[in-house]
Amino acid sequence: MRLGRPLPAGYNRHSRYRFTSLLGGDSRELEIVELAAKPTKRPARKPDKQPVKNVPGGAGARRVRRADTPGSNGHAQTDPAFDAPSTNGEAVEESAMSPVVEPERRRRATAQSMAAKQRDISVSEFFAKNRHLLGFDNPRKALLTTVKEAVDNSLDACEEAGILPEIWVHVEQTGPDRFKVGVQDNGPGIVKKQIPLIFGKLLYGSKFHHLRQSRGQQGIGISAAGMYGVQTTGKPVKIISKVAAKKPSHYYEIQIDTKRNEPQILNGRGEGVDIPPGSKGAEYIAKHGIEWVDQPHGTRVTIELQSKFVRGRGSVDDYLTQTAIANPHIALHYTDPEGNARDYPRSADRLPAEPKEIKPHPYGIELGRLIALLHEAPNETVSQFLTTTFTRVSPAIARKICHTAKISTRASTRRIGRKEADALFQAIQATKIAAPATDCISPIGEVLILKGLHQVVPGEFYAAATRPPAVYRGNPFQIEVGLAYGGQAAMQHVSKEMLRDLIDETDARTIRQFLIHTFNGLGSDAADRILKGSGLGTRQSPSSLKPKEVEGLLAAMKGVNVSEGQTMEVLRYANRVPLQFSPASCAITQTILGTNWRSYGLSQSRGGMPKGPVTVMVHVASVWVPFTSESKEAIASYPEIQKELRLALQAVGRKLGMYVRRRLKVKQQSDRRQIFLRYLGEVATAVSEINAVDRSALYEQLLSVAKKRTADADVKLNDRGRPIEEIQELEQDANVLIVDPTAAPVAINRAPAAPEQTE
Amino acid sequence: MAKRLIRRNRDAVAEAKEVAAKLTPRDKKTMTSIVGLADGVVAAAEKRRDPHVDIPSRTLSNIRYSPRKRIIEMGNSTNRRQLFDLSQAKAYMRTMLVASGCKKLLTQGKTTSLRGMYYMLKHTIEGTKENTFDEQSECDTVIEDVEVLLTSLREELHLYADKRGEMVGNIILNDSGDEIDCSRMGSGGYAIPSIVEPEVIRLDPKKCDAKFVLHVEKGTVWQRFNEDKFWRKHHCILTHGAGQPPRGVRRMLHRLHNELKLPIYCVLDNDPWGYYIYSVLKQGSINLAFESQRMAIPDCRYLGLRSRDFERCDLSDSVKIALNENDRKRAKQIAGYPWFAKKRDWQREIQKMLQNDFKLEVESLISKDISYVTEQYVPARLAEQDWLD
Repeated sequence: MRLGRPLPAGYNRHSRYRFTSLLGGDSRELEIVELAAKPTKRPARKPDKQPVKNVPGGAGARRVRRADTPGSNGHAQTDPAFDAPSTNGEAVEESAMSPVVEPERRRRATAQSMAAKQRDISVSEFFAKNRHLLGFDNPRKALLTTVKEAVDNSLDACEEAGILPEIWVHVEQTGPDRFKVGVQDNGPGIVKKQIPLIFGKLLYGSKFHHLRQSRGQQGIGISAAGMYGVQTTGKPVKIISKVAAKKPSHYYEIQIDTKRNEPQILNGRGEGVDIPPGSKGAEYIAKHGIEWVDQPHGTRVTIELQSKFVRGRGSVDDYLTQTAIANPHIALHYTDPEGNARDYPRSADRLPAEPKEIKPHPYGIELGRLIALLHEAPNETVSQFLTTTFTRVSPAIARKICHTAKISTRASTRRIGRKEADALFQAIQATKIAAPATDCISPIGEVLILKGLHQVVPGEFYAAATRPPAVYRGNPFQIEVGLAYGGQAAMQHVSKEMLRDLIDETDARTIRQFLIHTFNGLGSDAADRILKGSGLGTRQSPSSLKPKEVEGLLAAMKGVNVSEGQTMEVLRYANRVPLQFSPASCAITQTILGTNWRSYGLSQSRGGMPKGPVTVMVHVASVWVPFTSESKEAIASYPEIQKELRLALQAVGRKLGMYVRRRLKVKQQSDRRQIFLRYLGEVATAVSEINAVDRSALYEQLLSVAKKRTADADVKLNDRGRPIEEIQELEQDANVLIVDPTAAPVAINRAPAAPEQTE
Repeated sequence: MAKRLIRRNRDAVAEAKEVAAKLTPRDKKTMTSIVGLADGVVAAAEKRRDPHVDIPSRTLSNIRYSPRKRIIEMGNSTNRRQLFDLSQAKAYMRTMLVASGCKKLLTQGKTTSLRGMYYMLKHTIEGTKENTFDEQSECDTVIEDVEVLLTSLREELHLYADKRGEMVGNIILNDSGDEIDCSRMGSGGYAIPSIVEPEVIRLDPKKCDAKFVLHVEKGTVWQRFNEDKFWRKHHCILTHGAGQPPRGVRRMLHRLHNELKLPIYCVLDNDPWGYYIYSVLKQGSINLAFESQRMAIPDCRYLGLRSRDFERCDLSDSVKIALNENDRKRAKQIAGYPWFAKKRDWQREIQKMLQNDFKLEVESLISKDISYVTEQYVPARLAEQDWLD
């Protein structure tokens, strides 16, 4: 039994995954968890219930188990029994305080009476109560999380099957605070008997036990979304899946039995329904109102849930746009609750390289994990164990480790106790081991980043950089950065009708608010300038605008230089999934703030975001992305990761700098000509007054000299070398894309898309 | 020259306006150099070259002290001013404007002040909101550039500065045909004009009854000497330059010294500023180094006030003015000038002032007695021949 083996190396570090697995209905995981996890971070309530079989002390009461669990030192465990006295402030000295000698406690309850209350907690029950841990903390986020989990699953499935993904996302309002989310893919489909388990059981999935780059990890998301839907609306999750064109589609309506963490099938007398292929099936689908875009194979999940639809930052629109940027190989069709359809066409016809699965690297392992792995290992020598379990451990290295740990290489793993394991762990840290192979990561690639950005973000200059893979704590990772610069802000493409619609739709109280919230990247400075230009009052309400005032506003919007107050927009990705929350605590944001963008031609106040019409996307790909929290919102600041981030940002920054400087140079050149022209007339007049030559003839001559001179100046710059070479270099650079902003399709597309940005 | 101009000028309106005044030989010379400047632009334009002018640089680095002549002379370094250079285009345009303005003055036979020239040339550049000049100071520096560029003096360009400085004394001079008796100027004195060239002011040794010239720093002191009729008693000419003497005063002193062979004595404040006024009178100024030849008076003498006068004249503490940091710095700088560096007396003088750590104004002598300076101080110095050279 090698159950725990392929667990991610950073496993214990990131409690997000750890604790979810703690509750796993799957007993295989439980073992590992019980052995490996440090109880310190474990949520106090849940561990009790687990039917742990082969963990020492695992089945006992929580107090006992805490003390006995291997690898636990129990110091910070939040055990209510321990916490109570200290919070009461009765015991002055902690050391003197023992839970056993607590007189008050005894009077209230006895060990026996407490034991009667102690029982299992189902994973689903736990998450039903703690839905915020999975991103269902508010209705707004619930909608996004649902879409996100469904789309991530679809993408993973398609990619694993080698199919170019095509995704349909349909959000429909069914009640004042109810929405129906339908997500369909053209993936391989799901075999009949797996459907209820995948969608109706928490912690059931294929990705958890493998150390490789994928979007989802623990098989909790989509079933949790379904559970949330069932709980808030009572409507079951509807799944229809088809494996091949000639095979029947399977249709299920299910809900989770939260007590048992088991799916409950509601239709077809608990068996689901098979819809035959062909016209007969189409009839059935139409008759029963099943939503399905006809496809030879694929899966569609429909969840109805209580939520709120918003636009702007952290919205479904935003998520899909960002997903399209980082996944140029997908085609996305999105219909929003207002019936607007938006298509994100595919800009790459090739699937990204399939990420490889790897064994954990010894540096990324923790003592508890090591003990667990030793425990599970079949009877073999320590040397064998080390070489087979870990990557980059050759027999020679294994010998070295054993030597340092003062353990015989031929010792059986069965004989390794805690002490020896500790020695072994210390020895691993002290031994020099090569970094893991990094070819297991599948980056988006510079070309595709450029394509993706160009497709979605309006701009005139695009640059991308993919860093070579690097390693943090034994986990390979790779950083990619894309940058889009310039282009016109969405608001400058807005037509009069569009603006009027936008004003009608908005619920902003003042026009200033309306401007800031409606148009992405429009800072308050720019909004103020627009208001000033239009002559409207800051506090005026959008609904009270007269037609003439709307026209004035429109004129001001087109006339004002918006880019002056714009700040950089940052799109963060982890394994191609957009991160939309907690930007401040994320390593990506921190590194961007720490980079000096002034040398790349952007203005930046100390410790602030750079200003200008810039969008930066940063992708962190890793077999194990170190998130700061369970909700996968921000990436932890490992120095290795920050360093790679900085280098990648600098790489695109340098290219941006060249471009910005060149633009400046062109502008200066024409300014220069202007200055000369301005004074030529005066000089010609003065000279003709002195020696009576023909003024206009002299002026013409001077003019031609001026033209020659300014052209000369260009040449001179070229001859001096650097500047011109830089420009040529820039144009030849495969990682740079320069487009005419007015011809960019996005610049035009953006106008109808503008309402999607309304908040 | 004038004929040629009229022939070449095809602009009928300008022609009608230009009452071609009779050009003096000096004007002709100036005109030639102005036209030469303009022709240079035309020639460059025809050859599709970048028109430029080389202006002798008027900086400390481009002057040197000639121990033989005992004056400051201008070096040979020049600054090139090009039309097709971003930072110089406007200055070049202004140079040409000033040249054309001077040409206009010459042909019309009129003179104007620096401010007049500024207004003459100030206008908005066609098609822009930019003015040719925004401040008079911008125009003044360009005028100085043109002076050195054409090696013409300001008066040769028909320009004059504000009048400053007055004179009285036993001399009768001829100013543009009018006889001026400087001994009959009442309490006011004869205002020294900005242009005192022989064409304007004629000096006649026969009409001069003065033995020396006493130059004082400013009007108030000059007023004291005039009221006491010092010049009558001592047979001298009394001048002042209202602080740093303007060119007219310096040129006048120069002519009095060289043409009438009158020695020049200065009574200036005992502070770095006073020292510097003396230095300018004696060796010439850095900014106008090109004019030292006709302005500097190497034999000019410094009569007072001296650093030791506080003790010598037994002045009270209340007249002391403490030196500030700037004064000390300036004093050290002056002590370092090559024309002072080798004069032990001057070094001692400046050292003494630094030791005192205070400065004295000429007016401080009034604390002794209103007429102390005219009746005791200056006569005593002259009698003792106690001066610095």
